[in-house]
Amino acid sequence: MLRAIDVPQTTAQALNSLVRARDAAVIAGGTTMMPRVQAGDSGIGALVSLGRLKLDRIEAKGERIVIGAAATLAAIAEHKALGFLAGAIDSVGSPTLRNLATIGGNLFMKQPYGDLAVCLLALDAELTVISKKGTRKIPIAAFLAKSIGRDTIVTAVSFMRPAKGSWFYRKAMRRAQNSAAIVTIAAHLPPTKGKIAEARIALGGCGERPVRAKAAEQALNGAKLDAASISTAAGLLANDAKPFTDAYASAWYRARVLPVHFRRAVLGE
Amino acid sequence: MSSTVVTLNVNGESREFLCRPGTTLLDALRENLALNAAKKGCAQGSCGTCTVLIEGRAVFSCLVPVETVFGRPVETLEGLASGDTLHPLQAAFIEGFATQCGFCTSGMILAAKALLRANPDPTRDDVVRAISGNVCRCTGYEAIVDAILTAAARLQKATPRKRAAE
Repeated sequence: MLRAIDVPQTTAQALNSLVRARDAAVIAGGTTMMPRVQAGDSGIGALVSLGRLKLDRIEAKGERIVIGAAATLAAIAEHKALGFLAGAIDSVGSPTLRNLATIGGNLFMKQPYGDLAVCLLALDAELTVISKKGTRKIPIAAFLAKSIGRDTIVTAVSFMRPAKGSWFYRKAMRRAQNSAAIVTIAAHLPPTKGKIAEARIALGGCGERPVRAKAAEQALNGAKLDAASISTAAGLLANDAKPFTDAYASAWYRARVLPVHFRRAVLGE
Repeated sequence: MSSTVVTLNVNGESREFLCRPGTTLLDALRENLALNAAKKGCAQGSCGTCTVLIEGRAVFSCLVPVETVFGRPVETLEGLASGDTLHPLQAAFIEGFATQCGFCTSGMILAAKALLRANPDPTRDDVVRAISGNVCRCTGYEAIVDAILTAAARLQKATPRKRAAE
């Protein structure tokens, strides 16, 4: 049973609420927090809403994009300067869900949910977090490895805009809409003088959290983006992917189709 | 654990009631305000039967604590008709036999209303995507999609609109 739901007007108040009550948790869109609370066994006694903290700003005019952690997926998808993310966002839940779900909340999902987190890993995003100790920036890989304390709030995510033609995304699902991932692929393959440099490939459905396909990335760096190099890279995804079995797909199936969906993501087969 | 007084703007009216912390918008509508069109199907945001509109946008009311509505206008199915005149969506659902048991109907109609507000001339694919968060076990969806397209055409004929500015 919830004792209280706090709606602080400042981040300082929010942090105080989290520190004061050991069983308090942050709520943004509520799409994961409310089902947990209503299931009855969450151990969460109080909620601290981010709704009044103005954490939903989107700055996307230049090359460095900064998105407030409480920006809804719908707002991001509708933003004129973030068209490259529209396909990824469209693959998450339903339009109704996306009116509530936030980019910050998506970071905390366990795979096969959390497709935005897969994208942010491929974008090498940086998270801005705030606690009583102050504000700091965390690389997304570090966040995915260690998460953050219960008294810390993610306030923004930022990343460099990918160059045109260098961003690839595909989510394999059981249904055409509103379905979790069999596998998700997000790839940033920027060309430097016709060859790929600093490739970043992030995979969903291949571990509890999104993973970087480092072996495939290494094979692509210095290569031209063509069917041959992508096929080689596809064969190396298994080095880093550790798919699991759940109601959507078996580990065997995920491993089997991962290279196929990777080729389709990049080559559009 | 003390209850607080909450004020919501529902279907154009200011409604005040007492409720426990974290009461969902769905429970407030059904238990406090006797607005039972919105249904409780899964309490998880997976079925869509609780769909209502906040500021014209479809949301799962089972996931929204009333304390986070922040005075924004809420619309439920009960607010759609004008007196005895049904909204074109309601009329199209009845005429097109797009409702059987009726459990999904409230959510479907409101999801459709949100779609038509943003996109008055949707394609069939647009409609399918708009209701992708609403489960129906009876109709097989086709009649629902047809009814929404019929209503869209009628609304366009009555008051032609361009797609809403983004």
